[in-house]
Amino acid sequence: MAKELRQIAIYGKGGIGKSTTTQNLTAGLVERGNKVMVVGCDPKADSTRLLLGGLAQRTVLDTLRENGEDIELEDILKEGYGGTRCVESGGPEPGVGCAGRGIITSIGLLERLGAYTDDLDYVFYDVLGDVVCGGFAMPIREGKAKEIYIVASGEMMALYAANNISKGIARYAKQGGVRLGGIICNSRNVDRERELVDAFAKELGTQLIHFVPRDNEVQRAEIRKKTVIDHKPDAHQADEYRELARKIEENTQFVIPKPLTQERLEEILLEYGLFDSIKENDYHI
Amino acid sequence: MAKKINLEMTSVENREMRLGTIIAWDGAASDLVKESDYEGRKEKKKGNDIPREKQGGCCGNGSKACRLCELKTPLNQQTMCANAIVECQIGNLTDCILIQHSPIGCAADNAWFNLAFKMGLTRRHKPVQNLKIFCTNLLEKDMVFGASDKLRQAIRDAKERFAPKAIFISMACATAIIGEDIDSIADEMEPEVGVPVIPLHCEGFRSKHWSTGFDISQHGVAQKIVKRNPKKQKDLINIVALWGTDYFTDILKPLGLRVNYMIDCANYDELAQASEAVATSTFCHTLGSYMATVLEQHFGVPQIDAPQPYGFAGTDAWLRAIAKIVGKEKETEEYIKSEHERVMPKILELREKFKGVKGFVMTGSAYAHGLISVLRELGIEVDGSVVFHHDPVYDGAAENQNSLKHLVDNYGDIPHYTVSKTQAYQLPQVFRRVKTDFVIIRHQGLAPEAAKLGIPALAMGDEHIPVGYDGMIRTGEILLDILARKRFNQVLQRHVELPYTKWWQSQDDPFILSKEPEILDKALSEKLKKKGA
Repeated sequence: MAKELRQIAIYGKGGIGKSTTTQNLTAGLVERGNKVMVVGCDPKADSTRLLLGGLAQRTVLDTLRENGEDIELEDILKEGYGGTRCVESGGPEPGVGCAGRGIITSIGLLERLGAYTDDLDYVFYDVLGDVVCGGFAMPIREGKAKEIYIVASGEMMALYAANNISKGIARYAKQGGVRLGGIICNSRNVDRERELVDAFAKELGTQLIHFVPRDNEVQRAEIRKKTVIDHKPDAHQADEYRELARKIEENTQFVIPKPLTQERLEEILLEYGLFDSIKENDYHI
Repeated sequence: MAKKINLEMTSVENREMRLGTIIAWDGAASDLVKESDYEGRKEKKKGNDIPREKQGGCCGNGSKACRLCELKTPLNQQTMCANAIVECQIGNLTDCILIQHSPIGCAADNAWFNLAFKMGLTRRHKPVQNLKIFCTNLLEKDMVFGASDKLRQAIRDAKERFAPKAIFISMACATAIIGEDIDSIADEMEPEVGVPVIPLHCEGFRSKHWSTGFDISQHGVAQKIVKRNPKKQKDLINIVALWGTDYFTDILKPLGLRVNYMIDCANYDELAQASEAVATSTFCHTLGSYMATVLEQHFGVPQIDAPQPYGFAGTDAWLRAIAKIVGKEKETEEYIKSEHERVMPKILELREKFKGVKGFVMTGSAYAHGLISVLRELGIEVDGSVVFHHDPVYDGAAENQNSLKHLVDNYGDIPHYTVSKTQAYQLPQVFRRVKTDFVIIRHQGLAPEAAKLGIPALAMGDEHIPVGYDGMIRTGEILLDILARKRFNQVLQRHVELPYTKWWQSQDDPFILSKEPEILDKALSEKLKKKGA
């Protein structure tokens, strides 16, 4: 085997762009010659739409519900862009059952069906925004994802969520090998966003691994059910995702995060968020 | 060889997924042999694709795999679960500890398992002791905030108080739903306590049949206890067993073999040396197939590719298969011949006594196949049987382990062969359509139910009774005692009122609720109407 399988979990506040970022990043990694599997761990089941060219995927849990125990790997695993393997865990209807258990069931099933083959270079788990119960921590358990990236923006609630997620990671990291690989900033064009997220990342003890600028090219590609690299390979935004892919591939900085206190988090926001008139070089942290 | 079992996986693939196990079916045994398609499933286990149209059976919507068709029952009256099986497997080791990470209710059956454990130890001539099972006794707060610290504490306490050779953790429904990470805790605690800490994913809702619990227990033992660098013991044979008397030594000693029983009543070292044995076999493929296949695939210990050792045909073939592995074919032929000569007079005597007698068997799946052969060797007619589940194939998919086919081919068909998971409410129908003079039941709670219907019932607690040549004699002699109770059972029947309505007792088909579920609504509305009037 050329290199070890890297299993990566992507967390972040709901609506921050985890799925979009994961899929565009995946396209970047595929271009670099990697074999990638993306496992959507969100009951909404929209983590692989851009790779598959639509919501073509029957979820693991729907298949389980309809087929009973007779499931073969090809029933739940679809091939998407550039040979990417796509799986959607799915989940119960909102308000019933237990979505967290659904993730445990799905990932257990994938393992038993032999989805984790030796030729894979990366497995991504695109996880629901809030780690509300043990089930949502399944992807970062022993033997699963060892790397986590948090998608955030310069918005207050995104950073608040990122800090909370870091608390969970710190707790899990103490027991096992899971580490934070960095913060991916999915820009919302808020004031001094890059500096803010960079400062926040440093405070956590990690890095802002890449700043993905806001670009409507992403939206245009999404409408066409494609990643930017697939839809418009020569767009500037495509290069941004290629750059993100390169940085993740070459990343060596894996840490146990040091979550901020609520007070410190708000201080940082004040420092960066309100002093937008001050020029960059006038202010140092 | 069959597809390799993945020992790296923390949890076992359920039996229904691995083997296509079913829990409800009714018909002639010969039809179940056909529908099971052991040969086809064997090919599939080897990794060969079978086109859908050739698979037969029931095919899911859009899925490639087809399964053995199964009746759907609208109610389950009494049953067990994988968690309970782990209690009576892993909880029955003499120098290891099982911690049930669960609310206290999951520990309720430990009192009964303690009794079985003590009886087992007595049969094996081992010092009698209580089973060592802890329960983390989870409460409301533990469900909300997680209970990992309680589990850590239990592991420390277990180590301190009992100095076990290994500590197992069993998952329960409650802990599985809240996602307790017993794998990480096991890894974390192992260096601290200095003995293997083994997580077992046996939450009850995981599998529709409890027998998955056997596989989970065996998986844990193979993962962490069985020796990786074995020093071969050329005279050692593994027998995957439960709590039965040590008759296997009597049978195998003439071949120069010592028996290593696993898992029940064994100690750590006995489990560890499983990889040093020359072969693995079992009294029942339902129980032993996973362990035997894991030992074969991962530790190079071959499993005995033969029918189970029951009746002349089964025991002969079984001994020959072992002889081939240990290179004692010639001696074995002589041994078989002399054994036949030795037991035959007694068997003939018994056959005379059982002329015209009809029997019924209600036990675990593969075990029933063996037991029916023994009854038929004794000249007893067997027109019906209930098995608690059915595996259309076993893990090793070995050529000669198709135990139901072996039974039908060698001893004839069973017209009323029922797969049903300890459903006592079906007994009136089951025993009405098949005349029988006695019933042999393994799962003790059911034996009194049959007795109340006026049928002499043998609760076969010691499952090794029918094994081998002498097993036929042992079984026959016990049955003579049981048959002598006929009058007692008739009296009992007259004085017992069954808990079922007259309507249900008047039904003829035990599976009528599966075939015509609407009759239940009809019966209920009629009852309500009567009440109103």
